[in-house]
Amino acid sequence: MTEVLFPPLSKDSPEAEGVLATWFVADGARITADQLLAEVQVDKVSAEVPAPVGGVVHLLVKEEEAVRQGTPIARID
Amino acid sequence: MTVTEAPQGTHRLTTSKAMVEAIDQEMAGDPSVFYLGEDVGQYGGIFSSTTGLLDKYGPERIIDTPISETAFIGLGIGAAVEGMRPIVELMFCDFMGVCLDQIYNHMAKIHFESGGNVTVPMVLTMAAGGGYSDAAQHSQCLWGTFAHLPGMKVVVPSSPADAKGLMTSAIRDDNPVVYIFHKGVMGLPWMAKNPRTLDEVPEGEHLVPLGKARIARPGSDVTVVTLSLSVHHALDVADKLAGEGVDVEVVDLRSLVPLDRETVLESVAKTGRLVVVDEDYLSYGVSGEIVASVAEVDPGMLRVPARRVAVPDVPIPYAHDLEYAVLPRQDRIEKTIRAAL
Repeated sequence: MTEVLFPPLSKDSPEAEGVLATWFVADGARITADQLLAEVQVDKVSAEVPAPVGGVVHLLVKEEEAVRQGTPIARID
Repeated sequence: MTVTEAPQGTHRLTTSKAMVEAIDQEMAGDPSVFYLGEDVGQYGGIFSSTTGLLDKYGPERIIDTPISETAFIGLGIGAAVEGMRPIVELMFCDFMGVCLDQIYNHMAKIHFESGGNVTVPMVLTMAAGGGYSDAAQHSQCLWGTFAHLPGMKVVVPSSPADAKGLMTSAIRDDNPVVYIFHKGVMGLPWMAKNPRTLDEVPEGEHLVPLGKARIARPGSDVTVVTLSLSVHHALDVADKLAGEGVDVEVVDLRSLVPLDRETVLESVAKTGRLVVVDEDYLSYGVSGEIVASVAEVDPGMLRVPARRVAVPDVPIPYAHDLEYAVLPRQDRIEKTIRAAL
């Protein structure tokens, strides 16, 4: 099992909250390593989150949901 | 009809990522393709039209330019005349005013004026459209103005797959192609959420022919001819009216030059009712051209008068409520379709 964390977009404030802007995969989908999983955003800065490993992805947060940096957003089994 | 090679996989992309994928694939396969414009390098395009390309291709092929649209569009024209395939980004279509001479007197006319001996295989990209309070000088569509001036093709994608397919075709075309992307169809995380901006896109080579409309939704009661973000709004209204037994056909023009009048005529011949939805200004534009395309062939096709939903001939307001009042959004489209039934 691999957890996918919300990336640290704001270096100045590690506690900053961001938003899960877009999921590019569906819950339960089979994915490959490096596949684009999500786009996340802190203030006006956005970043892509690729899959660290392949497997079956489980989404832990919904689109538009506020998420603290470093929080797990998905699990890959 | 979408032309593709052998059956291939698809993946889910936003419109902006699909556009970048087309540019990336063409740059990988053809060293004469390069991209230049304001903030297209390190920033990745202010509407994410070039995200990631600088890292992959370097500053020789992804070129950040100074704020001089006349100079860098002229540079692109020169490169195209000499055999390169430049893609030049005019950040907002609203900025055409400072560089129009390069566009309509040079880019669009060199082929004619050289007796066909010189081609200008260039793509001129630009962002268009409103809906996010960017006011009168950053919210216009103006595609009707480009389409009015002869010598350039004009394409306006509404979906991720078309954004990729039209970009690939535009880069390979030997004519100058103006490629206009509405900010609201790009799937940008900081714009209003729009579920139709994320969809399946063919992974490999994908071409959409320039000049072929797409039936975005087949229907039998009324034809809505539209383009770009208004396609999404029209589909929303069509879904709603379907619940009341009204079957709306939505035609996505995709290309203004060449214009697929045949598909419009076939649809209107079937439904007998025409509503044109255009986010450009009402008068002297796309909506009038579509109505004329029917009236010139057979006005008897229309069982009721044609109707138009467009931006009234006023500058786009900054205030959110006033802006929404002039834009052709779901409320106005629905009201007009009902009036046409």
